[in-house]
Formats: sequence, structure tokens, C-alpha cells
Amino acid sequence: MAPTLAFRLVAAVPLVFLVSLLAFGLVHLIPGSASETILGEGATPEAVAELDAELGLDRPLIEQYWNWASGAVRGDFGRSLVTSREVSDTLVERFPVTISVASGGLVVSLLIGVVGGTVAALRQGRLTDRLISLLTATGLAVPNFWVAVLLAFYFGVQRDWFPAIGYVGPTESLTQWIYHLILPSLALGLGSAAVIARQMRGGLLDVLDRPYVRAARAKGLRYRRVVIVHAMKNAFIPVITVVGFQASVMLGGAVLVEQIFGMPGIGVQVVGAVLAQDLPLVQGVVMVSAVAVILMNTLIDVSYAYFDPRVRLS
Amino acid sequence: MAVLRRVVTRPSGTIPLIWLAVVGFCALFPTVVATHDPNAADFASLLEGPSGAHYFGTDELGRDTFSRVVDAARPAALAGLQAVSISLILGLPIGLFVGYAGGWWDRIVMRVVDAIFSLPGLILAFAIVAILGPGLTNAMYSVGFLFSLRVIRLVRGMVLSVREEPFIEAARLSGAPTTTVLGRYLLPNMMGPLIVQTTISFAAVLIIEAALSFLGLGVQQPDATWGSMLRDARSFQRDNPWIPWPPGLAITLTVLAFNTLGDTLRDVLAAGPGGGSKAPRRGVALGLADGATTAARPAVDDTADPDPEALLSVRNLSVIVPTSTGPAPAVRGLDVDLRPGEIVGLVGESGSGKTVSALAVAGLLPRGVTIDPGSRIHFDGQQLVGLTEARMAQVRGTGIGMIFQDPTASLNPALTVGYQLAEPLRIHHGLSRAAATDRSVELLDRVGVANPRERLRDYPHQFSGGMAQRVMIAMALASEPSLIIADEPTTALDVTTQRQVLELLVELCDDLSMAMLFITHDLGVVAEICDRAVVMYAGQAVETGDVHELFATPDHPYSRALLASVPLLDDDEDRLVTIPGRVPGPGEQIVGCRFASRCEQAHDACAAGPVDLVTLAGGDRSSRCLLSAAAVEDGA
Amino acid sequence: MTGSLLRVENLVVEFRGGGAFALRRETVTAVKDVSFHIGAGDAYGLVGESGSGKTTTGRCVLGLQAPTSGSITLGTDDVGELRKRDPQLLHQRIQAVFQNPIASLNPAMTVARILAEPLRRLVGMKDPAAARTRGEELLDAVRLPTDVLDRRPTELSGGMAQRVSIARALASSPSLIVLDEAVSALDVATQAQVINLLADLRDETGVSYLFIGHDLAVVRHLCDRIGVMSQGALVEEGTADQVCHSPQDDYTRRLLDAVPVPDPTVKRVRHGHTTR
Repeated sequence: MAPTLAFRLVAAVPLVFLVSLLAFGLVHLIPGSASETILGEGATPEAVAELDAELGLDRPLIEQYWNWASGAVRGDFGRSLVTSREVSDTLVERFPVTISVASGGLVVSLLIGVVGGTVAALRQGRLTDRLISLLTATGLAVPNFWVAVLLAFYFGVQRDWFPAIGYVGPTESLTQWIYHLILPSLALGLGSAAVIARQMRGGLLDVLDRPYVRAARAKGLRYRRVVIVHAMKNAFIPVITVVGFQASVMLGGAVLVEQIFGMPGIGVQVVGAVLAQDLPLVQGVVMVSAVAVILMNTLIDVSYAYFDPRVRLS
Repeated sequence: MAVLRRVVTRPSGTIPLIWLAVVGFCALFPTVVATHDPNAADFASLLEGPSGAHYFGTDELGRDTFSRVVDAARPAALAGLQAVSISLILGLPIGLFVGYAGGWWDRIVMRVVDAIFSLPGLILAFAIVAILGPGLTNAMYSVGFLFSLRVIRLVRGMVLSVREEPFIEAARLSGAPTTTVLGRYLLPNMMGPLIVQTTISFAAVLIIEAALSFLGLGVQQPDATWGSMLRDARSFQRDNPWIPWPPGLAITLTVLAFNTLGDTLRDVLAAGPGGGSKAPRRGVALGLADGATTAARPAVDDTADPDPEALLSVRNLSVIVPTSTGPAPAVRGLDVDLRPGEIVGLVGESGSGKTVSALAVAGLLPRGVTIDPGSRIHFDGQQLVGLTEARMAQVRGTGIGMIFQDPTASLNPALTVGYQLAEPLRIHHGLSRAAATDRSVELLDRVGVANPRERLRDYPHQFSGGMAQRVMIAMALASEPSLIIADEPTTALDVTTQRQVLELLVELCDDLSMAMLFITHDLGVVAEICDRAVVMYAGQAVETGDVHELFATPDHPYSRALLASVPLLDDDEDRLVTIPGRVPGPGEQIVGCRFASRCEQAHDACAAGPVDLVTLAGGDRSSRCLLSAAAVEDGA
Repeated sequence: MTGSLLRVENLVVEFRGGGAFALRRETVTAVKDVSFHIGAGDAYGLVGESGSGKTTTGRCVLGLQAPTSGSITLGTDDVGELRKRDPQLLHQRIQAVFQNPIASLNPAMTVARILAEPLRRLVGMKDPAAARTRGEELLDAVRLPTDVLDRRPTELSGGMAQRVSIARALASSPSLIVLDEAVSALDVATQAQVINLLADLRDETGVSYLFIGHDLAVVRHLCDRIGVMSQGALVEEGTADQVCHSPQDDYTRRLLDAVPVPDPTVKRVRHGHTTR
């Protein structure tokens, strides 16, 4: 499996390059220049030109991209136009929080989604199935930030079961870290759980109609064994694809949900940066989240090989 | 339009449509619905709960929440319309083009789409809003752009799948230019999924719009949107727990309505034009309404008892399938006997009920298809009808082996052949892992797979069709069965491979003293391998007998016509004999002989009443024809 | 052999395997140096097992697949050149019927519109009323009732759909129809009807057939000459009787031996076992 992983990582490089072009291109789509943003309205053209030269904005685009990209590879995304702080410092400090919330959401969605979908498929058409499909329909429709607002209030404020606010790092206290992540993960994960449950149900029902499942039953295997050994592994293949999509959704959602739970993630920063048009910070966030998602998808590609031998050999 | 009518007649279509109509009305005429000015502050009534004056209570400035929720329908609807139309205007032509043109265009565009897709959508929306500046319209441009990528993917995928359909090829041969192929052939066949996607996109756009407003990047104050109302609600929840509910519910219900409508549309479209509106009803008494079969089951008849000497004795087998007009019998009172070691062919065209009969014997009928409780299937002295699934699994694992039509699809693609072979050996025969492996090697060797020990580690896709069918046969042998049921096992194979597989099957039956029930549509195969044959037509056996006699002197007019319609390698007949008309479906009520309408020798009596299977002179043959019955009586 | 309608000379088709970025591209030769002629009004059968290259050969004749080398000539025109110069004319002269009857018809169109398409594009019959009248004639020619005109493909049986496909192919009065496994998906009784229909149509219109199939008995019944393909090559060619009764090639012999015969006294795999 190691060579597969290495191969996939190499294959992801062009994608990262493309994303970096997009992230870099953002700056040049904006009306006005970064210097104008820094100096504010009413700056003299001379002052703007001076700052342009200082920041290297008067150089050819290719050279600017090269400077930015070679910095980015080393983890240097420049300085914030608003606070002058190193963007990388902000990212290192805040991204682990956001990633924690996103991972928590993914775990919740996988657990609930896979179990719910499997149960629904095996009880197809019965009351349990209808109940689960009602729940998934609701789960798909409820905005995660509303769930977060409600959970924080009812389970964090009214009943003091879980912390409604704040974050503790895993290095500080593992149990506290998990404890603080429970409500945000739930808020974030329920929607994706519904997506995964639907896919799991549909996938399993589809697989159960396949000739090889009938053939497995023809061998005299018990239904339970047919489902667990012969159907589940194949039904997981489309679910994995969905999980890949959800990883990206989770990261975006975490930015939203962590703010409601007052967690010091990237969320507050990025919203502030967007309002202030602080592009180096926005670029840094875009770049790092893209790489995180690409990494996740690479892992998922590799896991296909476990579930689907046809992928392994070609 | 027919689609629309079918959507409206379902509750899962009506209810969302009503809700969306309400939201739409609020968006068009907010002042008619609202009870207050949505932006008028009233410091005399801050953060009140629901009351007659304020249906949904008031907010921190004393503004009427109900009126604000109503007022926010407009930006929501506007946002949805903007973003969805942008996504379609951008996505549809690009998707059609790259899907149809293919080549480098396709590769470049899809790489870029993949790259953008690897960014979390919300974060990308942030980036675009950062460039364009905050505001609802800018936010919706970015969302519309993001969703156009989904449309590109969807449309391209559909073009790719439809493009290879033979009817597109035929269109090109008919001289249709590219634009016509795209517009008249591809697009209409993609409308269904596209409409579904658009409906669901509305829902997703609403959520993103709300999220952006929630973060303060959408509509600016003081105008209300559902997202910004939720944002404000957070700060005052402690004083008025009621406050986040109305906007939250408004978003959820609207999104739910779009999603449900999308699902309903998908279901209706999947059912195809005209069909599928009546699902087979559950729990309906599955008695046979058809006069013919009822009468074919005499109240007292000792021939209806299973043959004690037979290995498999099927009596009066009726199998009920769901049809568009309700449950109907696809098999009507079938009798079959197999003695130990005997090969019996079940032969017929599609719709004859031959495969359903075989699956019924093995207890492997698909969901929704049931055996009539009056049927009897005796195998090795045991009545199989009514056995629990677990007991039936036991019978299959130790007495009956099955082989199916499509060998590669009948092997699990995710498991090695070795695992799949060893599985029944370990479960039913309690072999150890090593013993099971040895036995698997023996079995593969027996069916003629070269290098058996190495091949155990291979996956099914590494086998050719013929080799995969040998693996299936080995798997069927694993349970040391006394009966093999083979359902069209060579139909998907090339003719030279078919010959090898047939030779193997016959040899195995001889060597291992197995009986075989062989289901096929190929009369040639029946003639070459079977001892006896049962000719089936429209759910009934119309003729049975020894193959030598049956092929030499077919008695039933259908058997005769079927045999004469097969082209032969060495006959010089210029024209083939044809049978006019078509096979009646399971649901068709026919009082008399089911073949009469297509029979050249049919006369009035044929349609008058049900025709029984009568034993012909000579003993071991029978035929379901009045002419034969008359001949037998004359002879007697 | 004067007046050959279609001449296929030294046809070679290679497919390059692997994706665009594959390091090693393997070339698969689907058709190896195949040559045959079809006379005007003749029916030529191309027989072979899956992967023998018979379908690829048919697609080359139709201009749907470009040959790697070799030439295909229709009358006096090169098919490849005609396809570039005047595709309408090529399609007017060579038509096709495919294996899957229902999938060969656009599910979104009525039969009337399906038949009107080649009439409008290839024959220049723009007037809808005229096209409808001609459509009725075509349905009549394939022995279908005219009320089929207003039905959609999903409402037709397999045999009916295949007749509509044949009617569509006949619409432009072509000189050659490529029938690619055109009766393989049909039940025996329906197959017999369609085979008889094809034989009658050839007598009535003088159209030529390139009949591609795997069932030697069917091909023999319909064709004057037969070519046997194996692994891309034409291993034997001759009149239908020659090929079926005195085959020269080993593969042809094995193929003939393998064809099941519906007569237990002729060929029998099963010996020995007696019923009683």
C-alpha cells in the first residue's frame, strides 16, 4: 500500500499547483491593489506606487507568482495587510482548532451515517426505515449553524452538560479536548451523517440486488453473513466517495460552527480578513484548506484499493 | 405535463409545493402577509414571546419577528433564483460541450473543475466575496459560480453515458448534425436529472446564502434575512429562548421542501412515462384469480402427490410476481420430477417463467416475488415451500448447487476466488483453513482451471467468462450437491466456450451422480445434454418428455412451431416457420389455452375452457393440447 | 465479381491502450489485414466470437471508426474520403441496424419523428405530411401497423423496436445495410420473423447486407457468402455452403462443431444415461 500512497501523493502535485494558481489569481481579480488596501482611502498615487515597489507588486506576474509560491512551499504566506503579522503564525496557531472540529464532525457523520444507513437498508420499507428516512431528510435540511446555536443554548447554557464555549488543546488535556468537541462535532456532523446514511442505504440495497449476492446465498450462507461479508464491503465503495466530498464540506462548516462555540479557530480570522480584504491571509487559508482536502482525498483514493481490488491492480 | 400531474397527486409532491407556493407568495407580496413594518422598532415591546399582536414575538429592537421572517422570503428567493440561473447559464453549455467534444478540452476543463472542487465551497465563497466585496448579489455570484461546477460535472457525466447509446450512433447515421444530436437527442434525455439537480441546488443555495448572512457577509442591516436574524438571535437567546426558532424553521422547512420535491421528481421520472404509478399492493391475498389455473387444480387428484422416487418433485408450483396491474402468476401450476442423476431441461422463450421456476426451487426469488402456498417442492423427501430462510440456506449449502447466467457478475468482485470457494467448505463441512484450501485446489483442478493453487489468490475480474463459469461450477460442487440447478449457464459465453462448459457439466453429472435442472432458451443445447425436457409457454408446461421422442415427434403446436423456427446449419428451407403475435404477460386473463391466439390449429373449443396436461400414448410424455387429448381418447 | 458494391482491402485497425499519461502504451490490433467484397444485392455474413474484430470491421464500413490502414470503397468512392466530403451522402448510402433494439431508438421521440429524421436529413424530404406518409409506407414495408407511428420506443416490444430500426435504415433507400448482431437479442420466434423480413426486404429492394453475427446457423440462413473472423483476421471465406459444409480452416471447423443442433440424434454430449 505504501507505493500506492507515494504514487497518489505525486499525482496530487499538479492539483496543488492548479489550486495555487487560483489562490494567487484571486489577488489580481480584486479592484485596486493591496497597497491601496493598506494605505486606506485618500492615499496619494505616489505613496501607493512606492508601496507597490516595496511589496514587489510592480514586477511581472510570473515573477510575483514565483516569489509567492516559493514562499508558500516553505510555509511563508507573507504578512497580513491589516495586522502585519506573519500569516503562517496565524495559520499554525488557529488551524489545528478548525481541523479538530472538522475531524470530530467527520467521525460523528461516519458513525451515525453508516449505522443508520445499514439499519434502514436491512429494514427496507418497514417502520424503522421510514423513521430513518424522515430523520435523514430533516438532517439534510437543517443548517448546521442553527443546530449549533440550539445545541449550545439547550445543552451548554440551559443544562450545563457540555461546554458551550471555548476550546482545550489535545496536548493540554485529551479528555477536555474531546469534551469540548462533542457539541460542535454533533452540530457539524448531523447533516453529513444524513448524506452518508442515504448513500449507505442506497448502496447496500443496490448491492443486495446484485447477482453475486444471490450466488452467495445459493452457496447456503446465512443472510447475516451474506450482508456482512459479501455486501458491506462493496456497498462502502460509493460511501467512500461521499466521505471525500464531506471532508471538504466539514472544513467549510467548521469555520462557521467554531465561531458559535467561541473556539479560537481560523473562522473569526477569515471572516475578518474577508471584510477587510486582507488577501494574504485569505490566500493562506484557501491554500492550506485546499491542501488539507487534497490530502484527505488522496487517503480516500488509497483506501479504494482496499475495498475494490479492480482499482488495486490497474 | 404528465410528470407534473403525477408529482402533484403524491403527498410528497403536494406538501412541498404548497409550502413553496406560500414562500413564493411572501416573496412577491410581503406587505400583504406581514402584520407590521418589518424594520419598525418598538421599544415598548422588546424580546417578547409569541402573542396575538406578535405571532412569533419580537426581537431586541421590538421589531415583529413574523413580519421579518415573511420579509426575508424575498432575499432568499432572489438569492436562489440568481445563483441557480447563473449556475445553469454557465454550467449547461460548458458541460454539454466538453462531454460531447471530449479530448483535450474535456481533460483541461475537468482538471480545473477538480481543482476548484478540492477547495471547501464555503471558503471559496469567502475568497470570492473578499474580491467582490460583501453583499447579497456578490455572494450569489460566487455561489452561482460554485454550483455551475456541479452542473458541468452532472451534464458532462450524462453526456458521456448517453453518448455511447446506440440511438446516438443511429442519429449520426441518420445525418443529424452535432447541434441536433446535442439539442434533440442528448438534452431531452437529460432533462430529468437536470430538473432534479436544479431543485436540489435551490436548497443548497439557500443554506449557503443563510450561512453567509449569518457571518455578516450577505445582506446588510437593517434588512432581514433568515441567516442574519439567526445571527442576531444568538445574543439574545438567554432572554428569549424562542428567538432563534422562527428563522431556523423557515430555512429548514424551505430546504426540506426543495429536497423532498427533488426526490419526488426523481422517483416519478425513474418510473418512466406512464408506468409505475401503481406499486404492487402489500398484503393482498395472492389467490389465483385466473379461471384456467384454478380449474387446472382439481380438488382430488392423486397425480398431484410428489413422486417418492424422485430426487426433486415439484407439484403445482405457482409463482406470483408484481405487475403494473397488481400481483399475477408468472408460473401457473408447474409439475417437474428429477430422478437421481437425471438431466432435465426447462426450455422456453423469455416470459415463459423458466428462470422464476428455477429460482423458486432454490428459494432465491427476488423481493416481492412469492410462491403460492398451495405449491409443493419436495427435495430429498423434504417439503421446501414454507421453510425458514435459515433452513433453506442449510438445504442449499448441502444439497443443491446453483450456476447462473453471468459468471463474472455472480462472483463477488471484492473477494478472492479462494475465499469465496473456501467459504461454504468451512461453514457447511467444518473444514479447517488448510483443509478448505486443499479442497478448493482439488475442486478448481476438477473443473479444469489451470494452476489452481495460484489462482485461488486471484480476484474474479482476472478470469475470462469461461474460466469464471468454471469457478462458479467449482463453487456449486463445494457443497457436494445431489442436484445442480443451472440457469442459462452458457448463454453469455462464446459458442466454443459453451461447448467446453457443457461437456464439463455433463461429465460431472455422470461422475458424481448429480441430477441437473438445466434452464435454457436454446433448443440445441437441450437436445445435446438433456435426458428429458419440459417446454414452457406463458407460465405453463405445454409439453414434457424424453428428448429423443420430443425432438423427433413434437406434439404440442407450440413445441412444433418453436422447433421449426430455429435456423439450422444444414437445411435448405428458404423461409423459417414463424409464430405470429406475442407471448401473453402474467397479468393477462385467458380462459382457454394460453397459446390459442397464436396457434394455427386453434378451434372454438380451445378458447372455451382451461386445457389440462394429458399423458400421451406411450406413457412418459404429456402435452397440453385438446388435439392430443382427443387423439389419446381415440386410441384408448 | 464485376460490379462489387463494397470493397474492403487490407483493412487494419489498431487501438492504443492506456490513458493520456500512461508511460507505456500498448497497441491492440483489432483488425488484421482483412479484405472482402460485397456484390450489389448480395448478403455477406461476417462470423466470429467476441473480440474477433467483426464489429470493428462493421464500424469502419459505416465510417464510425477510422481504419489505421487499408481502404474501403463503396461503388467508386472511398468511404473515409466520402465521410469528410459529404457525410450525408455516405449515410444515405450505408445504413445500420444494431443489436439492442430498444436502446437503438431515442426514448424521447415518437416513431414518426425517428423515421422523419433520416427522411429530412438524408433524402431532403422537408414536408412533415410527406414524411408521415412515407413513414407509414416504411412501417408497412417492415410489417408493422401504422398506429406504431405515434408510439414511443419504450412502448414497443423488442421485435417491434427492431422492425422500426430496420424501417429507419431503409428510409434513405441505401445500397448497403450493416446489420450488427441485429437478431441476437431476440427470442427464437421473434428472431425467425425478423430473419424472414430481412430476406424479403432484400428480394423486394435489392439492398445489400453486411450481416455481422456469432450464430453460424442464422448467418448461413441469410447470407450468400460468409467470412469467418478470429482474433482480428479473416481465417476463411467462401459461399455459405462451402464454409458450413466443407470448411478448410481449423478454427471454422471448431466453430461449426461447437454449434448446438436441436436434434439429439445428430450431436450429443450426453451419452449413456437412460431415463428408466
